[in-house]
Amino acid sequence: MDNLQTLAGPVAVLLMLLFFGGSLYMSLRIRKRTENADGYMTGGGKIGFGISAASMTATWIWAASMYASATSGYTYGISGPIHYGLWGALMILLIYPFGRRIRQVAPKAHTIAEVMFARHGRSSQLMLAGSNVLGSVISLTSNLIAGGALIDMLSPFTFTQGILAIGAGVLLYTLWSGFRASVLTDFAQVCAMLGAVIVIIPVVFFAAGGPSLFETGASNLTPQQADFFSSDAFFNQGAPYIAAVLAYAIGNQTIAQRLFAVREDLIKKTFITATFGYGATIIGIGMLGVIALYAGITPVGGDVNNLIPQMAATYLSPLLLCIFFVMIIGSLSSTADADLTALSSIVMADIYGQNIAGKKKANPRTMVLIGRITMIVAMVAGLYFAGSQFNILDLLVFVGALWGALVFPVIASFYWNRVTNLAFSVSVVVALAAFLPVRFEWVDLDGPLGVVSDVLSTVGIGVVLGLMAFGFFGKRVALIVGTVATLASAPFAIGFLHTYPVLSGSLIAYAVSTIVCVALTLPSRKPDFDFELIKQRTGDFDSVDTDELNAELAQLTDADRPLTADEERR
Amino acid sequence: MEMSTIALTAYVLVWPLIVAGTLTVIVRAFVKEARAAKSEGRSII
Repeated sequence: MDNLQTLAGPVAVLLMLLFFGGSLYMSLRIRKRTENADGYMTGGGKIGFGISAASMTATWIWAASMYASATSGYTYGISGPIHYGLWGALMILLIYPFGRRIRQVAPKAHTIAEVMFARHGRSSQLMLAGSNVLGSVISLTSNLIAGGALIDMLSPFTFTQGILAIGAGVLLYTLWSGFRASVLTDFAQVCAMLGAVIVIIPVVFFAAGGPSLFETGASNLTPQQADFFSSDAFFNQGAPYIAAVLAYAIGNQTIAQRLFAVREDLIKKTFITATFGYGATIIGIGMLGVIALYAGITPVGGDVNNLIPQMAATYLSPLLLCIFFVMIIGSLSSTADADLTALSSIVMADIYGQNIAGKKKANPRTMVLIGRITMIVAMVAGLYFAGSQFNILDLLVFVGALWGALVFPVIASFYWNRVTNLAFSVSVVVALAAFLPVRFEWVDLDGPLGVVSDVLSTVGIGVVLGLMAFGFFGKRVALIVGTVATLASAPFAIGFLHTYPVLSGSLIAYAVSTIVCVALTLPSRKPDFDFELIKQRTGDFDSVDTDELNAELAQLTDADRPLTADEERR
Repeated sequence: MEMSTIALTAYVLVWPLIVAGTLTVIVRAFVKEARAAKSEGRSII
């Protein structure tokens, strides 16, 4: 990047100070002397549409998704960004029917794992909580890496200085008020990000040549890259993402936390708006990869992750480069603060609240303290992992599959009153055991095992599409869609799908967990579960109205302070 | 200009327009909620 423009050191520092200083100012405006434990985790479950929609959008737009969408556009051509961004957007849309059901049975919960504790017991809860902790730490690490790399490329500062500055900045504004600070600052961050996207995409497009680029640069594309219905793009990018869509929607605590935070009647509106916000932003950023492909640009150092900063440094003016810098910092900060609050709520509610102290004995003040300590520990861990040589993508795939194994048992647990704790736990473990050797190609899939893998993957296709249909249309349509999808795809998929281990692994996780969960549930003679029990077993940890408490504290402090000169005279 | 060029140009430029529309919806809702919270004397969150 030696011949590309970069930001001067003082400019980069000023932008960081403005960004994190502004976020800190916003969080100070809503700070309470005594934070309510439930507010610290979900904002009390009464958040309005504007903030919720902004927060959902900002949380799901993370730096890695911007980079990955542009990479997809550059690698797979004009359909590439669609095969990344559209399925990512669907992830948000798909959760809302399930989200309404989850809020209906557990209106005052804080995490899905907490609900699983109420529904099944400890093992189910800890499986979900464990996968959430792993996923959030990996996401936090990934965002720090993206920020460090950006600062390293676009400023005179090093990667280490970059991750330290970002880590400190995010922690500073999130630590005191937790989730409330995270969602409020998300509004400003989404304005910065979406505002930047509106300007940057057309500017880069016209600077790179405008419409004529599609005529002069057409020869740079292969027939597959020029095809909007590219099978290459679908099988390598789109299909594995469709399988991942549902897993991320159900398994990720950051999305569940916002689900429990938004006012119940606003869930649908919020999630549909965020679907448009996320989809258009990520697909739009992916167009930078398509433009680079048409323009014949080669990524610096052969690394496609350099593509977005490279396009910005090539085509943007210094002022727009500053806006681009803020856009990326905004995208990674909004997700990083969501990861911190997700981790803190899991430790507060699932580990301390449900397992150490117990629901009735949990001290809300201790909970908030634990939440703050969790954030600090998580950030230190994220900084440590960001500085080491972990393969983040492999870890993300692992967590994605872990969530894939959880999807059917979790969804079934909210609708089917016969699912047992044994069925839940065993199905997840068996599904993971089936996933690992396929995903990491530990076994030779050319022989009979390949046929078994393909048959299970084909069932997995039916499960994924059936679950998607179930959310919107109910059981009857879901069964028809799942059966038809399995039968229709079987002639094409069997003998073929095992050549795509990433896709096969995910589909097998879905299929095996579904088959085992159903097989263990049907013969069970346990009494049917009463969903009303979940409302009784979950709920607020903090019964004290901290608004009143804060007002009283303020009065006490006012009484204690020395009188002013005017007051003494009076 | 060929039809495919026009279509591809629209394909690239439609996303910022959708983003602008979404951002407008979010900002208007936020402003409305902030005003309501202020008039009722409570925090927006």
